[in-house]
Amino acid sequence: MDAHRVRSSSEGNETTVYFSDLGSIALILALGFALYTVVIAILGATRAQSQLVVSAKRSLLVVTILLLLASAALVASFLTHDFGVKYVAQTSSRAMPWYFTTAAFYGGQQGSLLYWALILSLFSAIFVLTSKRVPIALIPYIMATLMGIEAFFLIVLTSVSNPFVRSAVVPADGAGLNPLLMDPGMLIHPPMLLMGYVSFSVPFAFVVSAMITGKLNNEWLRAIRRWTLAAWTIQMTGLILGAWWAYHVLGWGGYWSWDPVENAALLPWLTATAFLHSTMVQERRGMLKAWNLFLPMASFALSIFGTFEVRSGVISSVHSFAYSDIGTYFLTFLTIVMVFSSILFLFRLPKVRPDQEFDSMISREGVFLLNNLLLVGMAFATLWGTLFPLISAFMRGQTMTVGTPFYNNVMAPLIVVLILAMGIGPLLAWRRTSPTALWRNLSMPMIIAAICAVILPLLGVIDIAANIGFTVCTFAASAMLYELWRGMRVRHAHGEPYAIALVMLFKRYRQRYGGYIVHLGFVLLVVGVIGSHYFQLQSAVVLNQGQDTQLAGYRLVYLGNIDTKEPDKETITAQLQIWHDGQLQGYIYPGRIIYRNYGNQPASLISITTFGATDLYVYLENWSGLSQADIRIFVNPLVPFVWYGALLMIIGGVFCWWPVGSEKLLRKSPARKMTQLTSHKVTYMLL
Amino acid sequence: MQPALTVSTERLQAARPRKRFPLSFLLAGIAILGAILYLVYANTQANAVYYMTVPELKHCTICVTQSVRVAGYVQANSIKRDDRTQSISFVIEDSHQTLPVVYSGVVPDIFRAGVQVVVEGHYSKGTVGRQPFQAQTLLAKCPSKFQSAST
Repeated sequence: MDAHRVRSSSEGNETTVYFSDLGSIALILALGFALYTVVIAILGATRAQSQLVVSAKRSLLVVTILLLLASAALVASFLTHDFGVKYVAQTSSRAMPWYFTTAAFYGGQQGSLLYWALILSLFSAIFVLTSKRVPIALIPYIMATLMGIEAFFLIVLTSVSNPFVRSAVVPADGAGLNPLLMDPGMLIHPPMLLMGYVSFSVPFAFVVSAMITGKLNNEWLRAIRRWTLAAWTIQMTGLILGAWWAYHVLGWGGYWSWDPVENAALLPWLTATAFLHSTMVQERRGMLKAWNLFLPMASFALSIFGTFEVRSGVISSVHSFAYSDIGTYFLTFLTIVMVFSSILFLFRLPKVRPDQEFDSMISREGVFLLNNLLLVGMAFATLWGTLFPLISAFMRGQTMTVGTPFYNNVMAPLIVVLILAMGIGPLLAWRRTSPTALWRNLSMPMIIAAICAVILPLLGVIDIAANIGFTVCTFAASAMLYELWRGMRVRHAHGEPYAIALVMLFKRYRQRYGGYIVHLGFVLLVVGVIGSHYFQLQSAVVLNQGQDTQLAGYRLVYLGNIDTKEPDKETITAQLQIWHDGQLQGYIYPGRIIYRNYGNQPASLISITTFGATDLYVYLENWSGLSQADIRIFVNPLVPFVWYGALLMIIGGVFCWWPVGSEKLLRKSPARKMTQLTSHKVTYMLL
Repeated sequence: MQPALTVSTERLQAARPRKRFPLSFLLAGIAILGAILYLVYANTQANAVYYMTVPELKHCTICVTQSVRVAGYVQANSIKRDDRTQSISFVIEDSHQTLPVVYSGVVPDIFRAGVQVVVEGHYSKGTVGRQPFQAQTLLAKCPSKFQSAST
């Protein structure tokens, strides 16, 4: 009769086994196997016994299977509504649809830690199964590091934060998930962001292994770069989904508010971005080796810090999670990680020597250095702002905070310089660039930027800061497009049609042109941010039936409220007409949903209508009866650019990461390429 | 003779400690780092806001010229809307002391009686402790947390 238990009778006595019992056992076994992997992998490496390493690999895969089992047990507990499990009772209810019930898996602390452990074990398994090209001496240490981290999470999961703990009294129904979280955003944003945090473990493990063995060759660099690229892309996707969710659903008005929890997620991403750039210097010139060991350690430490900050409640945030003593565990773990990696780092530092020296500041590596300083500076400023309540309490004995203006004022100039570097960098040669060559490459983008700087005020954009921003963005975008154009022209001169030349450039130089896609996306995103930051308009009005209001050429005519009552919720929407350019553009229905079984908590229905590159963002603030509404209107220019830019950045990241190209192309002989070129030429001529 | 000599100078060069960064790089790096640190320092000075409790605010001397942040729980039945001025007023409570607040702006969905809020703003001149606190921002915390604490 109970779906959530497996009955087994032995000698007439009925013992009841719950899915949660299976989960508990799987977690304990996983902890055992994880610890075994750590020990046996290190033994295998130090005694050079390959059968021990093979055993470590197998036991690592067993950890993965056990965590899959534990996760399946938790999902089964949720889907069978086994409210005897405390965690299930706290985060789900019978009324929830199955997909939100499943998503409640990571809706609370215990489950999200299990999710962390699961994803880490999956990444570890993927590493083990694809480690053919990783230097063999590194593999045991990478496995040991990954399983060491895994063991920490499993210790927490089996002691203070066990999702499978049962209560003595089984409630009839669970408390359910906050209605604000019952949104498709909940299905993708938290798991993506958590996965991003987890994924910084792999580059960290690579760094630890390189520091222990002293082997940081190009194979190592390529492998760690690919893993970092994956982590970077995942984390960025999580961040963007969060911004999208906040803007479209939560009614916070904006897409980014420099909240401590958002900052925590941004930090490892910034240091990983720095790493992706500085590895290129190491790859080409054999420099910045020590720095490249430091950055992944920083990213990992920051991702653990993020988890700690979110969970401990030391810093107040709008994202209030359930606080618990788990923060202490994370702080301890963070300390261990930092002490351990600092000792390794200091031990290895004297032996890490650059192969070459820096020649000139006006060189590719010079700009990469600038880029790294800026990105790490941005990370520092963000961390400083986030921790400022603690810093000020410690230094002055008085808690102080810094808000959005602090971040905006610090970040804006840094981003302007970063985008300038983004435009100039790809045009510079490695080692040194002559001023004439530089001018030849830069003159065209600079002229275009100058034209933009002149035209913008004529078009009515008179804000100086915004104009500088737009001009710099134009410069960087045109520099990149000009570079692309020159590449196409060179190939065209060798007989390729332009379209094929474009495709070939992207296929042949994945990293480079993938990087350009990311850069273009970032420029577009910044244009969107500038637009919505400097040119946002808002108004708040109370409208009676038939009245209208106007803002920036948009006229809203209020027709009345619509009230829909359903058993579990009541939906109130205001009906409005949008008039623009003298024409009726459509009807919008901003409103509220009031969930009865959740303390009458309202959730906003925001109406966003996009006209070209401008969002008309309408929010129902209050209402009275069916014929009066209190509405707030935002005109958000260029916000769609934020999303287009973000999408381009993700596409660029995936494009750089995508495995196919590089290996295949390496195998292609120059002769074959030549014949391909000629065949294209033939096709072209035939056409 | 000649070849042996070349080898030895090469060895000498290899043995000499390398310069990591040329001076120009070092200076530029220091300048950029200095600029970043200055940006952070100056903006901290300009934008830092005191985080006070309701009792502390009662004796506040700087709360007219500077913004401060205050946290507290919204008192039951204290939320009133003023349609004329498009603002809401409410009372927050902390450590058995209360603070009336006026705010106009986007009200978060989760704002209601009983939730913990953080308001940022200041007093109008000469009204410390008598007139309501003028809030420019209103942040509300989810009362049930992301995970319900009903058990």
